[in-house]
Amino acid sequence: MSKRPNILFINTDQHSWDALSAYGNPYLQTPNIDELHRNGTSFQRSFCADPVCAAARSSWATGLYTSETGVPFNGGSLHPEIRDLGQVLNAGGYRAFHCGKWHVPGRDVRESFQVLYYGQRDIGAGGAAYYDSASTHAVTDFLTNYNADEPFYLQIGYVDPHDVCEYLHNHEEKRIPNPVEQGIVSEDALPPLPENFNYDERETVLHRVCRRVDDALIHAAILKGIRDWDELHWRYLRWNYYRFIEKVDAEIGRVLAVLQATGLHENTLIIFSADHGEACGSHQMFQKFTLYEESVRVPFIVACLSDSIAVEKNQMNETHFVSGVDLFPTVCDYADVDVPEQVQGMSVRPIVEGKDVAWRDYAYIESNYWGRAIVSERYKYVTEYKPKAVEDFSPPGPDAEQLGLAQLFDRQNDPGETENLVGNAIYNEDVKICRDKLLTQEAKLHRQQIGHPSPKQVISNWGERLRTYWEHGR
Amino acid sequence: MRTTPHPVKLLKIHYCFNIMNNSNPLHWSFDYNYGAQNPQFAQELISTLRGYAPEVGARQTGVGQTVRHVYNILPNYWRGYHRGNAAKQLSIGTAIIERSKANNNLWYYSIEYENTTSGENLRLQFRCKDEPYRQLTDSWRVDARNRGRDAYSRSTYDGHLTSDRDVKLRINGIEISSGTVETDDRLTCDWALFDVIPALVPTIQTLDDSVEIAVLEDLAQPRLKSRLGFLESIEIPIPLDGYYLYGIGLLPSYWWLDAYGNVAIASKTFETLVLKERIG
Repeated sequence: MSKRPNILFINTDQHSWDALSAYGNPYLQTPNIDELHRNGTSFQRSFCADPVCAAARSSWATGLYTSETGVPFNGGSLHPEIRDLGQVLNAGGYRAFHCGKWHVPGRDVRESFQVLYYGQRDIGAGGAAYYDSASTHAVTDFLTNYNADEPFYLQIGYVDPHDVCEYLHNHEEKRIPNPVEQGIVSEDALPPLPENFNYDERETVLHRVCRRVDDALIHAAILKGIRDWDELHWRYLRWNYYRFIEKVDAEIGRVLAVLQATGLHENTLIIFSADHGEACGSHQMFQKFTLYEESVRVPFIVACLSDSIAVEKNQMNETHFVSGVDLFPTVCDYADVDVPEQVQGMSVRPIVEGKDVAWRDYAYIESNYWGRAIVSERYKYVTEYKPKAVEDFSPPGPDAEQLGLAQLFDRQNDPGETENLVGNAIYNEDVKICRDKLLTQEAKLHRQQIGHPSPKQVISNWGERLRTYWEHGR
Repeated sequence: MRTTPHPVKLLKIHYCFNIMNNSNPLHWSFDYNYGAQNPQFAQELISTLRGYAPEVGARQTGVGQTVRHVYNILPNYWRGYHRGNAAKQLSIGTAIIERSKANNNLWYYSIEYENTTSGENLRLQFRCKDEPYRQLTDSWRVDARNRGRDAYSRSTYDGHLTSDRDVKLRINGIEISSGTVETDDRLTCDWALFDVIPALVPTIQTLDDSVEIAVLEDLAQPRLKSRLGFLESIEIPIPLDGYYLYGIGLLPSYWWLDAYGNVAIASKTFETLVLKERIG
């Protein structure tokens, strides 16, 4: 590679790691993302930093974990002094462009990037059917006209398959016949229920209050609307989800075709990932906001459509734990731009180039302000902090005394996470090891007090509900 | 000119699970009358439907005669992601479908689609064979403008189908392949479906009937192995016959025909098009 490369970061929204035909999923066709897989390294142990749009995207943009960014859920606000990727790249001589979904609250994308397209009405959380095609038009127009000497960094935020959220909202106040009832799809055309449809109800209080109880903090209306779903409805959700992914795959295909036709592919590194996954019926759950695998595990592919950039191709990396915080330092590494000191992530470039490198042996994930998880070779450990008696708006941790309930899953023998091993004495030592790992990781964070009134209000309200549940069990 | 209503469907079943909300008369396939959109969605949809008085379908058009259907675009969710709920009109745009049949037995289409959420203003021009599937011929052109306030403002591309059935697009002088269609694929534009579906009604009479069709979405993206079939018949507020379309990369959409073969409602993932005007 004689000069600094162009870098194209293509991201989808709510895209679980296994929802790609290249990875053997027979229920959808993703020929274009598959092409990236064939031309790159696919990290199979890739986890978002936090399974909700704004939090995950804030980690992408900063290389920091949620406790550090000020964005613990969709209503947060990025701490103003934190430098984002666009600012760092621009200062390093790159031309940083953005197109499509951003969703980093508290940071105006137009102040950090040259924006190609962001909607006539700014893109918020969803709306792929409105925005994704226009994003492709904007990007293909950009690529066919790009003739500057400087390399570019372009991030394309596609919204799909996030529109599956609206598919679910559609069930809030009306009954929709399942497709077999409608007569449009035969039963054998639908994907089966996931093997982990049934789940171990020994979940954290945080998870119950946020996602399970009738007046759940998150999407209670959907929960109510799907209470009487039969098996076919769940399978139809999966069928729809895969169609949304096929839609966005086609958009990506046109971008890749233009990249190649212009010759820009010769010096362009492509990173593909998603902000978080989609439960899609696993654990009888929908959307994200959970620390189960389908919600937190995402594709992460580093590729080049030519041989000019050293990338191990057609590689399924099943060794290294990659986090959403790694995007920032990886981009900076390829761009030869200094990484801000406090960034938590690590560059995957040495791995992509086939080099040995010291690497973390776990992934750390936060969720819904109080939720925490550690994913290691053998186990996933999920836990929660109890809400403080008097909330000070400083993200919790590390504090062993304040931890609440926990889940331990054996990733080798129970990849579907269907049996919580906490409470089984055989695993007491493993639980302790995981908990220590979590607390050690948390001690490395530069957490900051939340100052913005909007997330403070959410933390207050949610904290009150959680305290009530802890006290009264409901 | 008044023409004969659409042929009676001898085998058609008035399906019994015509499920509707108690609070409004809309069919589930286009009932987005809830949350911030309640009751405006139902009101605008019904008033729009009552506002047009077609007594003829597009297919009865003679050579040289231009027919134009104008659709009001209603957002299916959250007022089209409008910030706040203050908009007087729920509508987020307009779609205009204009076509005429020439002496060479080709249909000339001109489409304009305006979406005030995405900012997209699409103008599509294409030609189709004069047959039920309205298969695309020779070349087509798309002029995509955008009213967003950022750098991108306009993109044009020309497309054609090669002899080996490759869909080619030329964007700013750069040619790409957008996919390949099989020899027996009947490739039409999604905007021609407003004529294709009425034309295929005799073929799709019952729940057991469906046809396979290839759709070039917005003249850019082939959606192969798509399936078009009959759904049910309703009366909201006028008699409507429903059809569905779905396929690889294509979420189910629902198309409702009036008694004269006009698509009165087309409800897609995020938007519902409601016929408000028919000219010609």
